[in-house]
Amino acid sequence: MAGVGSGYDLTTTTFSPEGRVYQVEYATKAVEQSGTVIGIRCVDGVVLAVENLRGVKLLRPDSLRRIFAVDRHIGIAVAGIGPDGRHMVGRARSEAQNYRSVYAEEIPPSLLAERLASYAHVYSLYWHVRPFGCTILIGGWDASQGPCLYVVEPDGSGYKYRAYANGKGRTAVRTALNKLNFEQLTCTSAVQEIARMIHQSRDIAKDKPYELEMAWISEASDHKFARVPGALVVSSRQAVEEEPQQMETGGSTASADRGETPSTSTHIMEES
Amino acid sequence: MSHPDPGFVSMSFDSDTQRKIVSHQRTWSPYVDNGGTVLALAGRDYAIVAADTRLSVGFSIPSRNFTKIVQLTDQAVLASAGMGADRQYLHKILRSRLEIYRYQHQKEMSLGAIAQLLSNTLYSRRFFPIYAFNVLGGIDANTGEGFVFGYDAIGSFEKVKVVCSGSGQTLVQPVLDQQLAGRQKYDVPDDQRMASLSLAEAIELTRDVFNSAAERDILTGDALELYAVTASGVRCERFELRRD
Amino acid sequence: MIETPTHTTEPIVTGSSVLGVQCVDGVVLACDTLASYGSLARFQRITRLHQPAPGVVIAGGGEYSDLQQLFRITDNIFRQEFCQEDGYELSPRALHSYLARVLYGRRSRMDPLYNSLAVAGKGRFLGCIDLYGTAFESEAVATGIGALLALPLIRKQWHAALAMDEGVRLLEECLRVLYYRDCRALRSVQVAKVSDSGEVLISEPYELSNLQWKVAQAAEEV
Repeated sequence: MAGVGSGYDLTTTTFSPEGRVYQVEYATKAVEQSGTVIGIRCVDGVVLAVENLRGVKLLRPDSLRRIFAVDRHIGIAVAGIGPDGRHMVGRARSEAQNYRSVYAEEIPPSLLAERLASYAHVYSLYWHVRPFGCTILIGGWDASQGPCLYVVEPDGSGYKYRAYANGKGRTAVRTALNKLNFEQLTCTSAVQEIARMIHQSRDIAKDKPYELEMAWISEASDHKFARVPGALVVSSRQAVEEEPQQMETGGSTASADRGETPSTSTHIMEES
Repeated sequence: MSHPDPGFVSMSFDSDTQRKIVSHQRTWSPYVDNGGTVLALAGRDYAIVAADTRLSVGFSIPSRNFTKIVQLTDQAVLASAGMGADRQYLHKILRSRLEIYRYQHQKEMSLGAIAQLLSNTLYSRRFFPIYAFNVLGGIDANTGEGFVFGYDAIGSFEKVKVVCSGSGQTLVQPVLDQQLAGRQKYDVPDDQRMASLSLAEAIELTRDVFNSAAERDILTGDALELYAVTASGVRCERFELRRD
Repeated sequence: MIETPTHTTEPIVTGSSVLGVQCVDGVVLACDTLASYGSLARFQRITRLHQPAPGVVIAGGGEYSDLQQLFRITDNIFRQEFCQEDGYELSPRALHSYLARVLYGRRSRMDPLYNSLAVAGKGRFLGCIDLYGTAFESEAVATGIGALLALPLIRKQWHAALAMDEGVRLLEECLRVLYYRDCRALRSVQVAKVSDSGEVLISEPYELSNLQWKVAQAAEEV
């Protein structure tokens, strides 16, 4: 038991003397190994995207998805362990349905995020359960506030973001996200930006091929969850892949960063 | 019918309220009689299963084209009179049971097995009966001989050569007895009389008795669906009946 | 412990007839906008028509709370269908069968949903279900008193080439007859049209026109 946790990492019911809960931190590690997941709140909607890594070539396109519809106005993207994410999605769907049966209205994304955060938190309190090995990005359309993006972490925290990224390419992507102008960014251009960010965060020599999975809840989709039209995804991806090594320097730093440094907390958090 | 909880009757409510509550709950019946007549008849190498297509509720006719027959296999056809919803349910579960049997045994269920399955299914609801009066007809896969089975609502059944159930039963069964069973009693031995009845003659007889039933029974009419089961498969024919 | 009745065995707030007819280019449903409390015309502007998804409309009579529950149930299955994203969609026929199972299941638990439903959908689908779960498809359906007063009229005038606009007029005429004779009917009505391709048009409530009460006067004079 001479590992990192030195016996303090066996359950979430034990703190380390430094005040850390190792099991939860390990769960976060699972998230960081995931394919890159990005969410951006734009002026006309919110975009969710996943770099869906395809290690197995025999997989059919569109199988093993990581973005799911929760209700007509909410979608969730999963970073980390897929099945854990699907369980959260199932919970989210029943929360959404339950809210509707009580109030005859769509659940506000903020409330869904809050409930899912509480749900995830419970899994960091008892010895007989393990925390969720996933971070979920909740993109939704709020009836009064418009598009919004929430993120629920394995420790049970939930934040509202302008934009968020996690997974292998997070460092480079977060840097790129910081440079966006959210006051003017539209969903369509966000799709293109995301395609570029994911492309540039990758090490072509080492990384597995990927499928770019994207969904949005936007004005274009009538404020409903919808997959981003295939043609737009393909053209955005082609555009960046065909660009000559223009961003070479940025690209190489990104791949050096990839999956190494832990979070330096460059998320763009919304001041409310 | 007493309440399953024996403490139900002596409670804090006075007996009058008690009675009202109980009677209030009992005003609704889960059953409705949708009428209709079904018939099955077996010859030496065929079986006929027939039914009218009327769906009645009291004096009104919500549908003139509501089938009472389901083809279960290439050798067995079932017709049910009684309550529409119950027989739809019965047909649905029987079909799914047969499908499962097909997957598990890689063959069709035999006529006798279906007869027993139907009886078991009905008896499983002994204390909340499926309100359906069934006649099952088909041919024996080995000998090719026709057989029919008649049932009551809770699964008692009998293997016979001809049977009729439903609202027209009292009109039709005596005629069948006289024409077929009765004749065999005095004239010719059992099997020979039925054996000498050709399929065409049997269809004629079936049409006649249904036309007769439709004359006097208001719950029977609109159209006659007739399934003829022979070694070469199942053939379905349709004839118009009185619509009034 | 005493068990108070928790099952609807007697409807309280009720809707009356629902009518439906299959036309050459689609299906038409019609009903009035009343929910009665016994003989009191209690809620006069409620809707008994519901569109849970593109290309499907349900109309119902009987206990209104049960009807709303059924509408919620159908909304939920179509929402689950949306989240599934499997490229399949529930056909009107499948919904019709599903609702029949729901109603049959409830009657078998001695806790019926006290309704009669008409289901209309794209591909010229028209089906009918009662509180026992009896379900069938038909070119003409009418529930409640409509089964006695309107169904014969619809059947008489029905023909294979009936256009939807004619269908609307036919059902309006039936609603008029019902308004004359059904004490639980109202002048304010709604009509839903579902075209072959699944286009749905549900009218706002409107008042029946051309009502003719002279006969009543004549009767008084006699």
